[in-house]
Amino acid sequence: MTAMKQTILRTDQLQAFYVLDMQGAQKIVKAVNNVEMRIYENEIYGIAGESGCGKTTLLKTLFNDIVPPLRLVGGKIYYRIGSEEVDVTTLSPEEKRKLRMEYISYIPQGSMSVFNPVLKLKETYEDFVRSHVSGQSREAIFELAYKQILTLGLPRNILEVYPHQLSGGMRQRVTIALASLLQPRIMIGDEPTTALDVVVQRGVIQMLKDIQQNLQNTIILVTHDMGVHANIADRIGIMYAGKIVEEGTTGQIFSRPQHPYTRFLIDSLPRFGDKNMRSSVPGSPPSLADLPTGCPFHPRCPHAQDICTRQMPDFSHIDENHKVACWFVGEGHHGQVA
Amino acid sequence: MAFLKRYLIPRLIQYVLVVWLGITVVFLIPRLTPNDPVMAMIGMIRARGSTLEPGSMDGIIADLTEMYGLQGSWLDQYWAFWGRLFRGDFGVSFFQFPARVSDLIANAMPWTLGLLLTTTAISWVVGNIIGGLAGYYTRKGWSRTLDAIAMVVRPLPYYIFAFALLLLLAGFMRWFPITGGASLGAIPSFTWAYIKDVLWHAFLPALSLVVLGGAVNFQIMKLLVQNVNAESFVQYAKLGGVTEGRIVRKYVIRNALLPQITGLALSLGQIFSGALITEIVYGYPGLGMLLYNSIVRADYNLIMGITIFSIVGITTAILIVDLAYPLFDPRVRYY
Ligand SMILES: Nc1ncnc2c1ncn2[C@@H]1O[C@H](COP(=O)(O)OP(=O)(O)O)[C@@H](O)[C@H]1O
Ligand SMILES: [Mg+2]
Repeated sequence: MTAMKQTILRTDQLQAFYVLDMQGAQKIVKAVNNVEMRIYENEIYGIAGESGCGKTTLLKTLFNDIVPPLRLVGGKIYYRIGSEEVDVTTLSPEEKRKLRMEYISYIPQGSMSVFNPVLKLKETYEDFVRSHVSGQSREAIFELAYKQILTLGLPRNILEVYPHQLSGGMRQRVTIALASLLQPRIMIGDEPTTALDVVVQRGVIQMLKDIQQNLQNTIILVTHDMGVHANIADRIGIMYAGKIVEEGTTGQIFSRPQHPYTRFLIDSLPRFGDKNMRSSVPGSPPSLADLPTGCPFHPRCPHAQDICTRQMPDFSHIDENHKVACWFVGEGHHGQVA
Repeated sequence: MAFLKRYLIPRLIQYVLVVWLGITVVFLIPRLTPNDPVMAMIGMIRARGSTLEPGSMDGIIADLTEMYGLQGSWLDQYWAFWGRLFRGDFGVSFFQFPARVSDLIANAMPWTLGLLLTTTAISWVVGNIIGGLAGYYTRKGWSRTLDAIAMVVRPLPYYIFAFALLLLLAGFMRWFPITGGASLGAIPSFTWAYIKDVLWHAFLPALSLVVLGGAVNFQIMKLLVQNVNAESFVQYAKLGGVTEGRIVRKYVIRNALLPQITGLALSLGQIFSGALITEIVYGYPGLGMLLYNSIVRADYNLIMGITIFSIVGITTAILIVDLAYPLFDPRVRYY
């Protein structure tokens, strides 16, 4: 590594739980449980994990969109805005609103109907832009939008239509274009390629890469598809039951996965020329409302020992980028750089 | 244009067919009932105690038969019926003999239109705006309060509510007149005094209709908005930091209103059958009373006249909604 990378987003022992009132009894879903992250400028950070492990909730929390029943139970979220680090959990609703689109933007899931069906796309564009940039004429807003549309290689008339007139892939490209329009420092995507077919998926991934190259900003991308991560991410965090259990560069995660869960995820990827069905992770993920003691993966782990059922391991650091929370990695060095 | 050929023309043909069919049924029904209106009329004249000279009987029967459009075969009658219809002639009323049905309807129509157009419009606009805001801000105190009020008002039987208003504000407080569309002896004219008199008489009936109609629209709209609010395009706009005013107006209320537009058109179409209970409670001289009396007295021509207005009113309203709907919802296209 040459120059020290600048941190743009950082969390500190983040805990965000759904607190549900079930006829008097409280049910607590520990969807984000002690997550400590440091995300850098100018990188694509991937978050992977099975469905239901809390990826969407983690993104919502990082996006600072914490509304009931989700509650910030512990920890803090810091954005580096300009040269200052800001604890964004203490901002007012209006301050939070202003950061969106301009500083941090959101790319929704590909299958969702995210555009107002009764507005032409350019009207949606206008609403999104006007909510952030005041004093712009309609023409100026549209000129900005068209310039970007052309740069991204999208058809010129794409904003003249209603959302239902576009294919799913095109719609997804427009959401990405819109998310990057005001040149935010961070873009967050929740399964933006899921529900698209493979060819379209490739185009969308390329578009995300191009935008990141152009803006030199940060993209945090959630998908359960390890193939997508292999294609786009610089670093990957593996999430299991509300926790990050392993983090490393994409090369490290794919060539030297350490956590047994990560290994299962990598092994379940189809490989070229391999006609066998790939094994998936055995068993099923735990309920986040009723977590097992110790390491939450122990009921499914082939290597589980007594200690795994009693205590959650700290991270061992294999090198400055690669860390893993497993009792059997970096034995005796937990919490220390190797 | 594909729209003309593939949608508009078939739709207009359908419209004409429905109207024709409806009116034909209106023509047939009284003729299929066993009562002979001519004999019923003569029976009534007799019952009043007037003696009829034996010789004039045949003449009277012939006159009545002609006046009611009942001479000749059904086919002849049917032709004549349409001929008269196109001239705006619905024949004479059997029981308010010899008043013409068209005159009776023309007298009642302005009262009904004036009252119901206004109240339907006000309760739609006000109910939807307040219901829309209450649905968006469900957690606010004022929203819960309005919801509680609507919950009490909605299930009240209309006649009890209307009667209570009458008793309290007209009977007890004496702020409003007990009955009628205008003061007795007031001469219709475009003077402020007369208009004031009409508005004063219309206030209680209008209030009763607006409060109950508004409560209905309020509750429906509140539910619609709560559903739309959970849609992903609203969530997405919030994540995009779109200002709340824009989200409420253009994203939530505008989409929630779509089904309400159809509802509005249907209630406008139904205006032509009047508002019977309102008119009974407040002695209001509208189409509802007229229709009611015509049914009670088996006044076929009058029933037919009002029913035809109703049929045309409702089918036209539906036609207009169908044609105008794509303006509100771009997903609906007819070509
Ligand atoms: N609005 C909500 N209310 C209650 N529980 C929720 C809500 N959203 C998600 N959850 C629960 O939180 C857990 C994590 O969900 P999510 O973050 O959506 O996972 P992922 O995106 O990885 O599939 C799941 O157990 C889910 O049932
Ligand atoms: Mg998810």
